[in-house]
Amino acid sequence: MKRSFTVVVSAAIVAALSSSLSAQWPLRPQPGVPKGTNGKPNLTAPAPRKPDGKPDLSGIWMRTNRTEAPGSQPAGQPPLATFGNIGLGFKEGLPFQPWVADLLKKRANAYDNPDALCLPQGPLEYHLDPQPREIIQLPQKTVIVYESNYGIRTIYTDGRPLPPQGGPQPYWHGYSVGRWDGDTLVVTSNNFRGALTGQPGDGWLDGKGDPFTDALTLTERFRRVNFGKLQIDVTIDDSKAYTRPFTVRVEQEIVADGSEMIEFICHENQKFLQLTGRAPAP
Amino acid sequence: MKIRAVVVLVGIGLLLAARPIVAHHAFAAEFDADKPVKLTGPVTKFEWTNPHGWIYIDVKDETGKVVNWGFELAGASGLMRQGWTRFSLKAGDVVTIEGTRAKNGSNNANAATVIVASTGEKLFAGNNQGQ
Repeated sequence: MKRSFTVVVSAAIVAALSSSLSAQWPLRPQPGVPKGTNGKPNLTAPAPRKPDGKPDLSGIWMRTNRTEAPGSQPAGQPPLATFGNIGLGFKEGLPFQPWVADLLKKRANAYDNPDALCLPQGPLEYHLDPQPREIIQLPQKTVIVYESNYGIRTIYTDGRPLPPQGGPQPYWHGYSVGRWDGDTLVVTSNNFRGALTGQPGDGWLDGKGDPFTDALTLTERFRRVNFGKLQIDVTIDDSKAYTRPFTVRVEQEIVADGSEMIEFICHENQKFLQLTGRAPAP
Repeated sequence: MKIRAVVVLVGIGLLLAARPIVAHHAFAAEFDADKPVKLTGPVTKFEWTNPHGWIYIDVKDETGKVVNWGFELAGASGLMRQGWTRFSLKAGDVVTIEGTRAKNGSNNANAATVIVASTGEKLFAGNNQGQ
């Protein structure tokens, strides 16, 4: 499928479009993009670093669309997750607890997908949505702004401990703290709302409704492989929903063509409930 | 249905790579992949909105009665990345739209392609099955 922003427009068409293109959101080249000898962004240049020496994860990131056949990932690496199915790479499927089978049947109609309801997406939906997300790495916290459904997530990196499970009010995005392990930002999160609340939209990891519960401890290892590539290995540890922890990989690519995040107000013209018969047509 | 004539300006000349973009919503919950539709008619309304844009067109049925159909597009943000603008269509433009009909039997569908009759230009609609 797509690479970020791989829109193919012929030169003639661009010329024909010039008047309407001027009405679009303007391109504004990102600062600090390393250039190759051809003047184009050098995406394989080393990852930038902050003054403290840590890699700088800041930037606008798009998911890649690379997929793997189940079980075909290189030895020792977690399988790639997809937006629709984080368990795609597992030959035997995900290690569900028995009760999850009934939940997945109920979710097969996708009526309660938080994405469709304009509610905050699950943590892997946010990582894998085709819309971009912007990471803003600050000294005491890292903030991720997700264009899809306007999610905003704070990862505290000020040294505070992870609170006890069941302590803080459960959040859609959980409670996240981060620490550096060499050049990898390790983010641990708990206190999520989960599927067992019974509320529509709660506890979805992907488009098919693989669940998480309030027992979830999520570990994400963010590694900026080079200027252009971000790798996030995500471990789901949720004994209520799964018989063992498992890890999947997310790949993202930097946006370096000058395009930016675009406003996305999901309830602006939401017709999902009408189209699924749960709200009257106007 | 009350028809509001919205939208301004010019038809355009673009041919965009057919790539799914904004996989926003639960396609299978709303649309029946086994019910393709292909309809032609003048645009009555163009909603440049999120989470989806919508095109409404008037279509004559087999008895000659005019029926208004709605076609779901990708959201405005995704359409912008595809090269659309809010001026890409205007009321009165005749278009042919191919897509997939709503499961609920209403006169709605998810658009895959939109062809502007006067120019033959093809606009990719951002079918949201690409998840």
